[in-house]
Amino acid sequence: MAEYIPNYQGTVTKYVFVESPLLTPKDLAVKAYEISAGVMIKETCFGLQVTGTPEEVEPLIEAIREFDPTHIFIKDRGFPPGDERRCRANLGGARPGYLGHEFEMQRVRYISHGLGRVAGMDDTEMHAAAARRPEEERARPLDPRRLKKLIEAEEP
Amino acid sequence: MTEKVRIAQLSCGPEYSGVQKEIYDAAAMVDAEVFFPDIALADVQQGFSEFGLDVRSPDLKLAIARAKALVEGRIDADAVFIATCFRCAEAAIVRNELRRYIHENSTLPVVSYSFTERTTSGTLLTRMEALTTIARRRALLAREEQEGITMGIDSGSSTTKAVIMKDNEIVGTGWLPTTEVLKSADGVVELALQEAGLRFEDIEAIGTTGYGRYLIGKKYNAQLVQEELTVNSKGAVYLADRQHGSATVIDIGGMDNKAITVQDGIPGTFTMGGICAGASGRFLEMTAKRLGVDITELGPLAMKGMEDTVPMNSYCIVFGTQSLVNALAEGSSREDVAAAACHSVAEQVFEQQLQEVDIKEPVIMVGGTSLIQGLVRAMGELLQTEIVVPPYSQYIGSVGSALLASGFIRGE
Amino acid sequence: MVKVFIYPATSLILSDMVARFGHEPLGSAIGIRERIQTPGIESPPLQITPEEPKKGLKWAAVEVPSGVRGRMAVYGPLIEEAEAAIIIRDPDYAFGCMGCARTNELIQFHLRHKEIPLLDLAYPTSDEEGVGFVAAIKEFLTGLKTEGSA
Repeated sequence: MAEYIPNYQGTVTKYVFVESPLLTPKDLAVKAYEISAGVMIKETCFGLQVTGTPEEVEPLIEAIREFDPTHIFIKDRGFPPGDERRCRANLGGARPGYLGHEFEMQRVRYISHGLGRVAGMDDTEMHAAAARRPEEERARPLDPRRLKKLIEAEEP
Repeated sequence: MTEKVRIAQLSCGPEYSGVQKEIYDAAAMVDAEVFFPDIALADVQQGFSEFGLDVRSPDLKLAIARAKALVEGRIDADAVFIATCFRCAEAAIVRNELRRYIHENSTLPVVSYSFTERTTSGTLLTRMEALTTIARRRALLAREEQEGITMGIDSGSSTTKAVIMKDNEIVGTGWLPTTEVLKSADGVVELALQEAGLRFEDIEAIGTTGYGRYLIGKKYNAQLVQEELTVNSKGAVYLADRQHGSATVIDIGGMDNKAITVQDGIPGTFTMGGICAGASGRFLEMTAKRLGVDITELGPLAMKGMEDTVPMNSYCIVFGTQSLVNALAEGSSREDVAAAACHSVAEQVFEQQLQEVDIKEPVIMVGGTSLIQGLVRAMGELLQTEIVVPPYSQYIGSVGSALLASGFIRGE
Repeated sequence: MVKVFIYPATSLILSDMVARFGHEPLGSAIGIRERIQTPGIESPPLQITPEEPKKGLKWAAVEVPSGVRGRMAVYGPLIEEAEAAIIIRDPDYAFGCMGCARTNELIQFHLRHKEIPLLDLAYPTSDEEGVGFVAAIKEFLTGLKTEGSA
C-alpha cells in the first residue's frame, strides 16, 4: 500500500463560473490576473479556478465577484487544479461533477435574473416574492397512460 | 510492448467504497487501462430516457447512457467492466440489464462485478485478464484445431491435470491431487508423457492455466499462460464440437465456480464465484467421504437416489454437512443423500451464479465435477435442458491450453 | 456566519448563494478537500479508503451497500456540523458524490430529522421562478444571520 502525501496542504480551491453576455471567461481571466497579486489562478472553459490560503482566496474572489455580481458564481472545489486524479486527460472523460455543473449552468440565467430583481427589493417585496411558488403552477407533461386512455375513450 | 487494452468502466460506488484503486491496479497488472466514457449531459439525458430503465440514482443513469454510447460506437473501447455495490438492488438491476444489452448489441467482451469495501485487485485480476485476453487475442481464440505436439497443464485448487495433444487428438493425460503446486505439475507431466509415449523434448509448445499458471508457466517456459475463463470456454466448445454459435459453459470447481456464455468459441459474459463451499466440488468430496465411497462412485450412487426425500439446501459447507449427518441419522438411504447433495450444489450455483449470465443452449458442463452424473442431472433439471458433458471434460483447462498453445508453434 | 448544508451537496448554485449571502456552505467539496489534503494510504481518485465505509457504519447498518456507507462517511460529519440546510428537491442530474439515490434519501432524512432551519426548493425553470428562488434563499439566509447575532 503506497503512502499518500498530499500537495497544496492548507489551501482552498474555488471555481469561478461566468455566464454573462458582457464578460467572457477570457475577459474574466485577464481582469482577475490584474488583481491576483500572485495568487494562483487557472483559466478554464467556464471561468477560473483560484487556489491559495483562505486568507488570500477570500478577498480575491469577492473582488472577482464584483466584476459582474449577477453573472459570476463561485463554488468550493475539493481538489487542487490540474490534479491528475480528476483530469479529463487521465480519466478518459470528464469527472462526474462536470456534468452536474453543466446541468446547473443551464439554469443560472434564471438565477442571474432573480439576483438582479431581488437586489432592488425591500424586505416586504422580497417576502412576497419568496412566498410565491410559481413552480407549483408549472404545466406538467401529459402522462402517456392518460393520453392512451383519452384516445381509447374516443368513440370512432 | 503491446498496446494497452482500453476497458470502459460503467459503475456506481467504487470510488466511495475505497476500491477504485483496486480496479486500477487489477487492470494495470494485465497491461490494460480503465477509462470512463466521456459523454455530455444531453447524451446522459437522452441515452437514459431511450434505454427506458427509470432508475433514481444519477450515477446509474450515467452508466446507462455511457453503455449506449459504447454500443452505438460513439466511444471506442476494447472491453467493458461493470461494477456496482454488492447488496444494492437498484444497481443489480442496472448491472444485469447493461451486461445483457452490451452482450446482445456489440462484440465488446463484458464482465460485471458487485464489490464490497473488501474487494481486492487479486479478486478482480482473473476477470480483468479474461477481458484483456478476449480483446487482445481474438485471432488466437479463433483457433479451432490443434496442430503439432503441444501440452496443456491446468493447476487447479484441488487437482492438477496435464494433457498432450498431437494432430488434433489427445494422446496423453495426467491427473493428480494438488499438493505442492510444482511437484503436482511435474507428476502430471510425467504421467501424460508416459501415456503418450513421448519425451519432454518432443513437446513443441506449452500452455498453462489455473491458480498455479504463473509458477508452472515460468518453470516450463510456457508459451501461453492464460486464466481459466477463456481457456475453459475454448476447451469446452472444442471438445463438445460446438465451436460455432452460442453455448454456455459451467464449471463447478473445488474453490470457485465459473459460468460463461460463449459465442463462436469466444467468451461473452461470465461470472466467477466467489460463493461458499456448500456450492462447490468440495462439498461433494465431503459427502463422498462421509458416505464411505470414492468421489467417482458418488455420481452413480446419486443417480439411484431421490433428492426430494432429504432436506438439504445450504451454501455453507458446515450446515450442508449437518443436514447430511441428520439425514443419515434419520435413516435416509445413502443413494438419497448423495442425490440430495448433488441437487443442493446445483441449486446453490443456479441461484447464486447462473442468474448473472444468460443461459444459451447447449449447456456444457466441464471440470472434475461434470463426471458426477448426479450433479449433471440435477443441473439439467434446474435448467430444464439436456446438459452436454464432452469426453475428457475433467481435463478441460489442459485441453484448452494445449489447443491454444499450438498457435505459438509457428509464432502466431 | 452559519454553517448551511447544501443539497445537492455538489450544487454550484447553492454553494454560491450561501457564500454570497454571508454564510458557510457545507457540501461535497469540503468533505473531499479534507481527504485530499490529509496524508495517509493512497486511494485514488478521492482518497476514500476501504476504511471509510466502516466509518459509515455510524449512519448506516452493515447490510447497507459499501458505496452508501462510504458516502455517509463524507456527509455524516457535515450533517452533524450543519446549523441550517437548503434542499433542492429534484437533483436528478447531480453525479459522483450525489450519484447514489439511496445515499441521497438518507442524507435528506438526517437533515429533516435534525432540528435546524430548513428551506425546500425546486430548480427554477423560468425567470419568474428564478426571482422566487433567489428571494426565498436570501430571506432564509438573512433570517439566520438575525438569529445568530441576536
